[in-house]
Amino acid sequence: MKTQINQVTNSVIVTEGLAKSVLTSEGVLHILSSIDLIIKSGESIAIVGESGSGKSTLISLLAGLDKPSSGAIFLNGKSITMMDEDGRAALRNQLIGFVFQSFQLLPGLTALENVMLPLELRGDKTAKAAATALLHRVGLAQRLTHAPKQLSGGEQQRVALARAFVTRPAILFADEPTGNLDSKTGANIIELLFELNQENRTTLILVTHDHALAARCHRTIRLEAGCLV
Amino acid sequence: MSRFNLALRLLWRDSRSGELTLLILALLIAVSSSTAIALFSERLQSTMSQQAAELLGADLVITSPEFIAPAWLEQAQQLNLISAHTVEFHSVLIEHDELILASIKAISDTYPLRGVLKISEGDAGVESIVHQGPEPGTAWLDRRLLSVLKLKLGDTLAVGEKPLLVTKIITYEPDKKGDFFSFSPRVMMNNLDLLATGILQPGSQVHYYFQFIGAAQAIVEYKNWLKPQLNPSQRVMDSRENRPELSSALNRAERYLGLSSILVILIAGVAIAMATTRYTERHFDATALLRCLGLKQQEILWLYSSQFVVLGLVASAVGSALGYCAQVGLFYILRELLPQSIAPASIGSLFFGFIIGMVVLLGFALPPLLRLKQVSALRVLRRELEPRQPAVWLVYGLATSLISLIIYKYTHDLKMTVSVLGVGIISLIVLGLLIMGLLKLIQKRLDGMSLLWRLGLQGLLRNNRASISQILAFSITLVAMLLSFNVRNDIIDDWQQQLPKDAPNHFALNIFPNQVQDFKEDFKQQHILGSEFYPVVRGRLTAINQIAVQKRVSKDSQGDNAIHRDLSLTWTESLPNENKLQAGEWWVRLQPGLVSVEQKLAESLGIKLGDSLAFTVGSQQFNARVASIRSLRWDTMKPNFYMVFSPGTLDAYPSTFITSFYLAESQKELLNALVKKYPSTTILEVDLILQQFKTLLTQLTQAINFLLYFALMAGFIVLMAAVYVTLDQRIVEGALMRTMGANRRLLRAAQLIEFSVLGLLSGVLAVLMSELILFALYSQVLHISYHPSFYLWLLVPLFNAILISLVGCWGVRQVLNKPPLLILRGL
Repeated sequence: MKTQINQVTNSVIVTEGLAKSVLTSEGVLHILSSIDLIIKSGESIAIVGESGSGKSTLISLLAGLDKPSSGAIFLNGKSITMMDEDGRAALRNQLIGFVFQSFQLLPGLTALENVMLPLELRGDKTAKAAATALLHRVGLAQRLTHAPKQLSGGEQQRVALARAFVTRPAILFADEPTGNLDSKTGANIIELLFELNQENRTTLILVTHDHALAARCHRTIRLEAGCLV
Repeated sequence: MSRFNLALRLLWRDSRSGELTLLILALLIAVSSSTAIALFSERLQSTMSQQAAELLGADLVITSPEFIAPAWLEQAQQLNLISAHTVEFHSVLIEHDELILASIKAISDTYPLRGVLKISEGDAGVESIVHQGPEPGTAWLDRRLLSVLKLKLGDTLAVGEKPLLVTKIITYEPDKKGDFFSFSPRVMMNNLDLLATGILQPGSQVHYYFQFIGAAQAIVEYKNWLKPQLNPSQRVMDSRENRPELSSALNRAERYLGLSSILVILIAGVAIAMATTRYTERHFDATALLRCLGLKQQEILWLYSSQFVVLGLVASAVGSALGYCAQVGLFYILRELLPQSIAPASIGSLFFGFIIGMVVLLGFALPPLLRLKQVSALRVLRRELEPRQPAVWLVYGLATSLISLIIYKYTHDLKMTVSVLGVGIISLIVLGLLIMGLLKLIQKRLDGMSLLWRLGLQGLLRNNRASISQILAFSITLVAMLLSFNVRNDIIDDWQQQLPKDAPNHFALNIFPNQVQDFKEDFKQQHILGSEFYPVVRGRLTAINQIAVQKRVSKDSQGDNAIHRDLSLTWTESLPNENKLQAGEWWVRLQPGLVSVEQKLAESLGIKLGDSLAFTVGSQQFNARVASIRSLRWDTMKPNFYMVFSPGTLDAYPSTFITSFYLAESQKELLNALVKKYPSTTILEVDLILQQFKTLLTQLTQAINFLLYFALMAGFIVLMAAVYVTLDQRIVEGALMRTMGANRRLLRAAQLIEFSVLGLLSGVLAVLMSELILFALYSQVLHISYHPSFYLWLLVPLFNAILISLVGCWGVRQVLNKPPLLILRGL
């Protein structure tokens, strides 16, 4: 019991008996079953598996985007299972960054405004300066006032990276970050992602089909039919 | 057939999933309002023409301010025409210390020649039909009179000096006129009692109606015989040629209703276009798949257009039925202004709304729908491939031609159609640019604002075109509502407010020359403040410098108004108070044959100093030279005259006197004594007349507002359509924001800002426009003083913001309710 508590307090993410099932017309469908995970601070984890194996569901639960059917999740030692949606939103804002396969920039905002957004949601007065600095860091100094649709796919993903790191999150979830990019641009983005990850000592949780990419992480977690293998 | 089945199946699925709800609602609104107006106009017009004879009360009617020559009646008899006559005038009735201005109608035994009278003999309201008017010694009363004068059937009512037994309640008479004074409640009596009332004396303001029926040929012959003998104050009307006109108020209301329904169609059309745009965009993927499976462009178009045709047919049929019900409501609101039995509706009008539905659908839905034809099969692989936007000329061209056709249908006047369309398009462009400018300004200011305000306002700026349409739809509808609300209230209130406290509030007409001295004495004894007594001769202006006056006026002008009725002509030695000489000189000595003309009328008719004006009084004619032009204030509540003659000019004609006086509320009982002492004098209570006028205006504006509610509903459909067009994007953005840690409160507050600003902008714009229009209307047309309504500046934008926020936030509630997980699922 003592070891368990230590594990919870020293780790960024801990799950115990995590399960997710949904009710369909054909009965209960188990998407995830009995997932026990301990992820330490600064670790990088690759989650791999076939389509439909439950990868996206796992990270949606870990990031507090969805509620488990049973089991518990601790982020930075705090149980998020009993929190309501707004409570989890506040926690996400403090702890978590996201990078998505399809970039997910807000089309009505400029590159700078997209990066400022998470800081502004925190009420950070230095949002503009911090966002500008990070956009410089990802090589988009000339693109601050451009709208997403004026940027190439690679540039959009750089903006998304800057947005993910601008809050210096404890945990970064990246879901197939190169899935929509050509291999050369994808490789550049991955380089940048790992560089930023090291600079910020962020815990990285990466969903990918790319074994080479998975190999760059400290650990790989494989999911099959909703179970860890 | 299997393709059609597929189309039906797709239509059924889409309508069940709510994809088509807004489109159907917009279509229902357009169809039901057009059907209602088409039915309303058609039934009104056909009532007027079908019942022309009944509304005239005869096949031929002579109207005259005096009894006609006996030879005319003899001639009618020789032609085997049956005749009847009625005498109509106003009189103040007093019973139980209550008084009211009533419209008296004395009828001959043969009345009515055409149509029937309807009466009721108790409170139960059971009507019975009779073919003859009241017996001598009795009177039939409007139900309203019984309650005002606290009378019941079997009581006695004094008309002038003659007591009459009240025996029946009159509920319908065939030849009731549609003019303003017909709103005074009716007393019908037998003309054998007329003399005993003591009311009719030479010079009294009375209308005689001589009615005739007979063989068609004999009527034509009689009319031809009669025409050359009529004097300008007499008219002959034939049921075949002279369809009775609707009263001008009703006529204008009908025109305004027509224009309002175009507004509804236009706003509903915008909603249809927006809803179809969303429908189209949501069908790109399915269409790409169908194209991939081998469907040709034409087949795609057929597949979707056949769905829209079926949808249009069903919605138009339901809309027509709703329109029928709405039209019944419209007739109910206006029931007191209209004849009791209204002609039934024809299938044609019911069909009109139906056609409008299909045409509106075609005009507004086709351009966005055509995009589906352009969808490339390659989209199944590359989702970013979107078909071209429809050509601008197609979108606006179709809509404009469609609206022009509908305007033409209502106005039947090419010139008016072009001007309504021109003014409409220019106003829309100007307003559109103004709104665009405002949105640009907001965009520029966005930088310095807090995140919350930026998020809220960005919602508004997200789709400029949709925001402009929404603001336009709401502000135009609000302008129309504000105008009808303000004009009604202001006309009456402003006038009342402007009057000094002791301004005369009663007019006394038909004072006979031998009563003037007594009247003055009575005023003095009772400390009644009276204005001057002016002699009045009723006469008509017929020619200016030997040219018939009809040739000099434009329709509906002040001059036009003045030459089609008898004017009150007067004479004085000195220039009346509150009159100012603008040109010429006032007569200083006895110089008969001179006239001073009111300035505005002179301008309208092109009358100049020195012109020779020809007048007729009864059958006699005389000329006068224009010696001066006067300006005057009409709102002084003192007798005012277009034509003032030099003393001696009108001596040959019978005259009565007119004056006005002020009675405080506490002196009202003096009125009873006056009316009893001078039964032939008509006393008009300004308060009462204003009250009747107010009732009339209220009913007309209610009818117009009734239709504007349709426009408001259409406005909300536009709002919902605009919200739904962007809903998918809003949901994704909302989920993304929440993924990054935004809470619901922030998102809700941003939505509230977006819709409140939309409401505020359209509200402020509406008040601004309505105030500008009112200012122009009051200062240029109605000549009443303009007061900006500060409370409207506050209330309208505020209520509009609240209402639009409620509806808008309800429309986007999914943004808050969809879990942020969606953002991952969508990957």
